[in-house]
Amino acid sequence: MLVLLAGGLSTVFSQSVQLKFHNAFVITAMVVCVYVSSGNSGVISFGHVSFVAIGAFAAGLFSMKAQQKGAVFNDLFPFIKDNHLGNLATLILAAALGGLYALVVGIALVRLNGLSAGIATFAVLGITRNVLRNWTKVGPGAKSIPGVEETTGLTQALMALILCIVVAYIYQRSAAGRRLRATREDAIAAQGVGIRIYRERLIAFTLSGAMAGFVGAVYVHFLGSVSTDQVYLDLTFLVLAMLVVGGVDSLWGATLGGLSISFINTLLSEGEKGLSLFRQKFTLPTSSSGIILAALMAIVLLTRPKGLANGREFGLRGFRRRDSI
Amino acid sequence: MTERPGSLHATALSRTYAGVRALEGVTITVRRHEVIGLIGPNGAGKSTLVNLLSGFDFPTSGSVMLEGFDITTWSAHRRVRSGLVRTFQHGHAFPGLTARENIEVAALGTGAARGVAARRATELLELMGLADHSNAEAATLPHGDERLLGVARALATMPKFVLLDEPAAGLNEDEISAFADIIKLVRDERNAGILLIEHNVPLVLGVCDRIHVLDQGETLAEGSPTEIRNHPAVADAYLGATAG
Amino acid sequence: MRYVQYFIDAVALGSLYSLVALGIGLIFGVMRLINLAQGELLMVGGYTLFATNGWSVFVRVPLVLLVIVGLALLMERAFRRLRSAAPATMLVMTFAVSFLLRSIAQKRWSAQGKSMNIFSGLSHAFTVGQLRIRYVTLVSIAVGGVLLLGVNLFLNRTDIGLQMRAVASDRRIAQALGVRTNRVVVTAFALSGVLATAALLLFVPQRPTVTPDFGLQIAIVALIGVVVGGMDRLAPATFGGFSIGFANSMVFSLLPTGQRVFLDSVLYGLVIIVLLLRPQGLFQRERQTTRV
Repeated sequence: MLVLLAGGLSTVFSQSVQLKFHNAFVITAMVVCVYVSSGNSGVISFGHVSFVAIGAFAAGLFSMKAQQKGAVFNDLFPFIKDNHLGNLATLILAAALGGLYALVVGIALVRLNGLSAGIATFAVLGITRNVLRNWTKVGPGAKSIPGVEETTGLTQALMALILCIVVAYIYQRSAAGRRLRATREDAIAAQGVGIRIYRERLIAFTLSGAMAGFVGAVYVHFLGSVSTDQVYLDLTFLVLAMLVVGGVDSLWGATLGGLSISFINTLLSEGEKGLSLFRQKFTLPTSSSGIILAALMAIVLLTRPKGLANGREFGLRGFRRRDSI
Repeated sequence: MTERPGSLHATALSRTYAGVRALEGVTITVRRHEVIGLIGPNGAGKSTLVNLLSGFDFPTSGSVMLEGFDITTWSAHRRVRSGLVRTFQHGHAFPGLTARENIEVAALGTGAARGVAARRATELLELMGLADHSNAEAATLPHGDERLLGVARALATMPKFVLLDEPAAGLNEDEISAFADIIKLVRDERNAGILLIEHNVPLVLGVCDRIHVLDQGETLAEGSPTEIRNHPAVADAYLGATAG
Repeated sequence: MRYVQYFIDAVALGSLYSLVALGIGLIFGVMRLINLAQGELLMVGGYTLFATNGWSVFVRVPLVLLVIVGLALLMERAFRRLRSAAPATMLVMTFAVSFLLRSIAQKRWSAQGKSMNIFSGLSHAFTVGQLRIRYVTLVSIAVGGVLLLGVNLFLNRTDIGLQMRAVASDRRIAQALGVRTNRVVVTAFALSGVLATAALLLFVPQRPTVTPDFGLQIAIVALIGVVVGGMDRLAPATFGGFSIGFANSMVFSLLPTGQRVFLDSVLYGLVIIVLLLRPQGLFQRERQTTRV
C-alpha cells in the first residue's frame, strides 16, 4: 500500500516536492518506534528523541572523514575523531548505541508509571541534549555536523519505514508483545497471571531505543547535517502528536498519524515556497504552515479524541476493530 | 400514567448493555413520606435501577417521572436541583475536603448561600453523629463514617426523594439501629421519600413501609414487610439464602 | 555570606516558578489537564509588553492582565470538549494550542528576541553588608507570598473556592451534586491567568527578551516542578514549582563557572532521582490504600 502511495505521489507532485517526502517517511518511522514502547505499554515516553539523537550523532560523526573531523571537532575523544565508518556500519552502530542507551535508561526508569514516567523520560531528553551540546568530547556542541553523505533517498526512507513497521508488527504479535499489551489493559490482572511488567517494558523500551537509533542514522543521512536543536523539543512533541492524532493504541494508528501529519507538514512547508499541485501554483504566506498544522491537529483531536485510527489495526483481511489484545 | 404529584415513579424501565439485559420492565413508585426497600441478590439490577433513577445512566426504554415531570433524560444535577438525590455504595466523599466542607459544598451546589450551607452542615453533622469529625478530612474517616457523611451530603441538598445505596454496610449493630432512626426521622420530619438499597435484611424489614424485590433484572415481588417475609419465591431466591 | 546571597536569589526564583506552578496545578486540579500552553500566556503577555513599550504603567498592567486572562479563557473554551478524553489526547491538544500560538508569534514577530521592559526600577539593587539585593528579588518574594496566600484564602474561604476543591476532588460527584463545573473551571483558568500575569511582570527584569519560545521554557520547568512535587494536590504542586526554581538558581550559583553549561543535566538528574525515590511526588503524603 505504501508503495502504491509513493507511486501515486509521483503523479500528483513535481519532482522537487517528491524529494521532500522522504522526510515524512523517516518521521513516521520515528512515530512507529515510540509506538513500540509507548503504544504497547501504555506509558508515554518523552525521551525517545534522545535515542534518535544518539543514533543521528553517532552516524553523523563516524561517517565524517577523520581529517575533516579534526578540523571541525577537534575536542572529540580520539577513538571518535580518528575512526571512519561506511554507511551500513553507521546504521548498525546507531542501532546498537540507541538500544544500549535505552537499556541503561530503561533499567532505571521503566518502573515508573504515568506522569512520573513522562517527566523522567523528558529529563533524559534534557540531559542528552545538554551533554551533546556542551561536552565537546562526545558531541558536536553548538555546531551542526556538516556534510554527512546524503544516502537516504525516497527508496531508502521508505525501506527504513517498512522495516520499522515489520519489526513493530512482529514484536506486537510475539509472546513478549502480547504480554506487554496485557499489562497495558490491566496491570494487576497481568501480574496475576505471572507477567513481569518491569521485564516486558524493558524489552520493549530497549527494542524501540535500538529502532530509534537506527532511524536517527537514517535521518542524518537524509538531512546531510544535524544540530542538537533539530532533535529536541519540537521533534519530540511533533512525533508524540502524530502518535496521538493517529491513535496511540494501534500500529495502524501510529503509521496513519505519522504519514498523514508529516505529509501535510511537508506540503505546507513546501507551500510556503510555492507549490505546483495539479499544475496550479499555490503559495502560502511565510510561517503559516505551523499555524495550519496545529489547527488541523486540534480539529482532529476535538472531533476524534481516540485518534484517526480509532483502535483499528493492520490485519490480513483489511482493517478490523481491535476488540481483544 | 398512574403517577401523581408527590411521587417518584418509574415505568417499565429497561437497560441493556451490549446485548445483556441488566433491567427488564421494572415499574416502581416512591411516594413522599415513605421508605421503600429495594432488595435482591447480587446482579439483580439494584445498582442499575438506582443509576437510572438518579441520572447516572439512562434507560434503553421506559420513563422516569418526578412529581409529574418526565425526567427520563435529565442530567444528574438537574435531578438534584429538583429534589432527587442519591448516595453511593462506597461513600465517594471528596477526600481532600473536611467532613463539614463535604456537606457545605452540596448545599452550595443547590444554590444555598454560604451561611445557610454552614448552618445545614452543623445540623447534619449533629444528626449523623459526626460532629466530632467535622474538621477531619474525609479521607481519614473510617468507612462507616464516610458512608454516613455521604448520606449527610445528600440531605444537604434538601431532597424530596433520597436514594440510599447500601448506606449501612460497615456499620455495627448499634450504629445500624441509630441509622434506622435517622431514616425514620428523614421520612417523618423532612417528609421525604426514601429508596433504601440494603443487604441488611433486619434493617430493611424494620424500617421500610414497603419492599420491592428484584431478581435477574425483573421485579420478583412487591409488598409490605410482612407480605415479603411470607412470600415463598422471595424466601427461595433471597431471604433464605442471606438471612441464614 | 556568599551562600546567603545564593539563598536569597534562589528563593526569589522559586517564588516566580511557584506562581506558574500554582496556575498549572489549579487547572490540572479541576480538569485533569496538563496545560502545556500555560507558558504561552506569558509569551503573549510578553509581546503585549513589547508592543506597548513606553506607555504608562497604569495602562499596561491592566492591559496585560486583560490579554492574558482573555487568552486563558479562550483556551478553556478550546479544551472544554476534551474534558473526558484520555490524558494523552488532552496533553497533545494543549501542545497543539501551544504550537499554534508560537507559530503565530513567530509569523508576527519572527524568532528574534524583542525587548520588553516594565518597572525598570526593579532591576536596581541595594547592598546590605556584602549582600547585593535587587529590588525585584524582594518584590518577587513578597508578591509570590501574597498571591499564594491569597489563592489559599480564596480556595478555603469562598463558595466558589470550596466548589473548586470539590471538583478537584471528584468532578463527577461534584457535578452530580449540582456544583456548576463550568463556572468552576472558568474561574480556575481566569485565576491561572492572573498568576501568569504576576509571574510575567516579575520575570521581565531577569529575562527582558521575549521570543516565541519564552513561555514554553518557563512552563516546562514549572510543569516538571509540579510533577516532582506531586500533582494531586495544590500545595505539593506549588512547593514543587518553588523547589525547581530554587534548585535551578542554587545549582547555577554553586556550579563552577566552567561547568555552568551543565546546569540542565544536573537539574534533570536531580529530577530523575527524586521521581525514582518518590514517584508519588516529593511533598505528597504516602498514597492511601486504593479503595476498590
